[in-house]
Amino acid sequence: MLSLNTLIAASLGYAVLLFAIAFWAERRAKAGRIGWLRSPFVYTLSISVYCTGWTFYGAVGSAARNGFEFVTIYLGPTLVFIGWWWLLRKLLRVGRTQRITSIADLISSRYGKSTTLAVLVTLLAVIGSTPYIALQLQSITLSFSVIDSGGNADLTAFWVAAGLAAFTILFGTRNVDANERHHGVVTAIAIEAVVKLIALLSVGIFVVWGIGGGPAEIFAKAPAEMLSGDNIFSARWVSLTMLSAMAIITLPRMFQVIVVENADERHLATASWAFPGYLLLMSLFVLPIAIAGNALLPSGSNPDLYVLSLPLSQGQNNLALFAFLGGFSSATSMVIIAAIALSTMVSNHIIMPIWLRFNSTETETSGDVRTILLRSRRLSIAGILLLGYLYFRLTGGSGALASIGLIAFAGSAQIIPSLLGGLFWRGATRTGALLGLLAGFALWAYTLFLPSFEGSFILSQSALENGPFGMSFLKPSALMGLTGYDPLVHSLFWSMAFNIILFVFGSLFSTPRPLERIQSSQFVDVFRLDKSTGTYLVSRSATSEDLFTLAQRILGTDPAHRLFTEMAHQQDKTIGLPDATDKLVQTLERQLAGSVGAASAHAMVSQIAGGGTVSVDELMKIADETAQIMEYSQQLENQSHRLEHTAQELRAANAQLTEMGAQKDAFLSQLSHELRTPMTSIRSFSEILQENEGLGLDDSRRFLGIIQEESERLTRLLDEILDLSHLESGRGKLPLEPIALQEVIRKSLSATGALLEDTEMEVILDLPKAPLIVRSNFDRLVQVFINLISNAAKYGRGDNPALRIRLTAKSDSAIILLADNGPGIARTDRKKVFEKFTRLSEANLAGSAGLGLPISREIMRNLGGELSLLDSDVGAAFRIALPRNLE
Amino acid sequence: MSTSDLATSASRDRKRQDSALFIPLFGTFLFLSPFITVFTGSATVFGLPLIFVYIFGAWLGLVVIARITARRLDKS
Repeated sequence: MLSLNTLIAASLGYAVLLFAIAFWAERRAKAGRIGWLRSPFVYTLSISVYCTGWTFYGAVGSAARNGFEFVTIYLGPTLVFIGWWWLLRKLLRVGRTQRITSIADLISSRYGKSTTLAVLVTLLAVIGSTPYIALQLQSITLSFSVIDSGGNADLTAFWVAAGLAAFTILFGTRNVDANERHHGVVTAIAIEAVVKLIALLSVGIFVVWGIGGGPAEIFAKAPAEMLSGDNIFSARWVSLTMLSAMAIITLPRMFQVIVVENADERHLATASWAFPGYLLLMSLFVLPIAIAGNALLPSGSNPDLYVLSLPLSQGQNNLALFAFLGGFSSATSMVIIAAIALSTMVSNHIIMPIWLRFNSTETETSGDVRTILLRSRRLSIAGILLLGYLYFRLTGGSGALASIGLIAFAGSAQIIPSLLGGLFWRGATRTGALLGLLAGFALWAYTLFLPSFEGSFILSQSALENGPFGMSFLKPSALMGLTGYDPLVHSLFWSMAFNIILFVFGSLFSTPRPLERIQSSQFVDVFRLDKSTGTYLVSRSATSEDLFTLAQRILGTDPAHRLFTEMAHQQDKTIGLPDATDKLVQTLERQLAGSVGAASAHAMVSQIAGGGTVSVDELMKIADETAQIMEYSQQLENQSHRLEHTAQELRAANAQLTEMGAQKDAFLSQLSHELRTPMTSIRSFSEILQENEGLGLDDSRRFLGIIQEESERLTRLLDEILDLSHLESGRGKLPLEPIALQEVIRKSLSATGALLEDTEMEVILDLPKAPLIVRSNFDRLVQVFINLISNAAKYGRGDNPALRIRLTAKSDSAIILLADNGPGIARTDRKKVFEKFTRLSEANLAGSAGLGLPISREIMRNLGGELSLLDSDVGAAFRIALPRNLE
Repeated sequence: MSTSDLATSASRDRKRQDSALFIPLFGTFLFLSPFITVFTGSATVFGLPLIFVYIFGAWLGLVVIARITARRLDKS
């Protein structure tokens, strides 16, 4: 027989070990060496906090009484986890983006950050969890009593509760940010998960192969009705599976480990199969242990303690001690996590709002909210454990506790309609959620929770049997005369039916407030919204100084400083505080929500930012369903527009290229034609000279003269082509210097003097007296002027030929006009004068290679100026513009 | 990557997601009455009751399928 002292020493040693592990993990995390602390398997193991003392001991008890029924408690969560893609993935994403701190925070945040809902869910969570915590205390004291039946159960329970409170306060309230991981706690829980699994497996293996003689032998001992299960796979089976599936999400402690303590969404992919695998192993030996206990232990033994009493009866003290530690692990891990989850809820949703209300002026001026927050959380933990202990004292030993596990499940499952509706139904409103929750919880309390006290609390014995005041249709176990059902199924039916009906109708017949609409699209469309699509929460009357003060007092000086610096950077401000934009207000509110919950954070920021109302303008921006869809389709439309535009540009570029190709062809054929003409005459005359020896000297001279003339023309042509291509490529930069335009014109006139004299052309000059200086290239400009003047002299001759040259100075440019009084250029030809080798009507440009004007235009372009042909009725008028900047 | 590759990988992703959605429905079908009552007879497998083998076998099968699906989804 184990002595009580051994047991106490073992549990104390184990507790010290857990403290040490938590302490070590916390230090490691603080040093930044997170490593495996946040591996997906630690996450999976922490979820196994689902398996409490009630399941560790109670599953075997349940199997001994009801055969396979215990499996439902594990099958529901299995289905939820292998279906993670449906629900858990979305829940995690919402939890992350909204910085959700608890299940109450989630419901409150979804329905417009409602304080009422947060308080309601918190109260109900506390009501549902207190008996459950008491149940854990009972399972520990029961396991003590197996060893030492004379011990003082109350005292044991008290010390266990006190120890757990110390552990939870020490490791569960290290950060103000409830959204941050509690590395110490999670690591300790993961160790406990391993201990309880191995303990149960060891007992199972010992029972089956150590004393049972193999699985077949064990099952041969089972009574037939235990395995046949014709009456098991009934409505109760379905209800229990559904119930446990709902409870795995809504139990405060499960929400805490699955959503709040989650470090990486990808861990869920691993947990989706690993956690069902864990549950499979936990339940594998439950039935064999139950069968062996029924067969081997004396009748009247408590089936809930078979896991302990079987090894003890065989004298396996070490195994029994291990099993005891397994049960101890199951119970303590549940209490720790539940206390953290509930204390967060109580302090964020009940204590903080009250404190805020009484200290509304202080929020803006002084005091560190963080200490208040931590203190209130620590007090809440102690309070919750005290409540659990008192509950245990008051009802201790009564059989009522045994069914408390399922009753707590049914209570927390009432959150499911509001939760699922909130995640998947945009139209769900606060009114609907409030009505549904109230109805569901009221009916649950009336038909299941209060009857569990068996007449000692609120509902009297006679009310339970005959209905209150003898109204039999209100009998808690047979509402409206609905009899013949299991009490759990009966309660679940009524509470869920009214919960869902009131939730749906309440939502359909109420109008959501603006904030609800914003939050509903934030939740329902969480995978479609990117982070930038903000919410427009508060009208902007806050100063960034006020917001900074608030942030400092809740987040602490350094984190607040970091946050605001980052926001300032995002706004491209290098110094000073960021502007109090919507985005800043929103980011700050999210950060604060991680510490105090959405409703309190909203209240605090609104207090500073003023009103918290959404203005009409901002309402217009709210991205609700239609806006979302429209935005998406518009994006698509824009994209196709852009594509179309690009295609159009490509088509235009292609047309241009084709045209340029054609131009090149035309140019080449024109060029060969131009080169051919002088070549032909050179060749003909040289042939004549070669073949006719009797040619006179005069003729020979004349012919040689023609050959020379044509060669010169050819050379000139080739020079011009080279020059043009050089200018067109823009490769050679023309050197610039300050020059006087009058000087350029005089030089050009003297160079063309002979030509002008021959054609008897009069030149009329209109030049300003003061030299007009531009920064340009003298020789090239002279080239342009010579070109234009000689063109005018050759082709622009009318009666009394005259060329008018006028120079005017504008503020930023110099303009030179050259106008002759000749036949002019036909309107249709004006476009073509600047094209290469253009032959206008023969009379105008006969014999010219036609490169003069294109070259001139290229020169002007290279000099940053412009050469253009003006519309004129008489003669041809060219205009030259040059920039006057002297830099 | 050509468009046909993109189309194939998109349809593969879609199939993975569909299977992730289907597994829990299939599991529900396996474990809820009336289908489960098919296995409640007195038959035994290697001395173990058929219902025991069925429940734990189906459970293990679901865990394996969930693992395969989760790995594929994680990769894509």
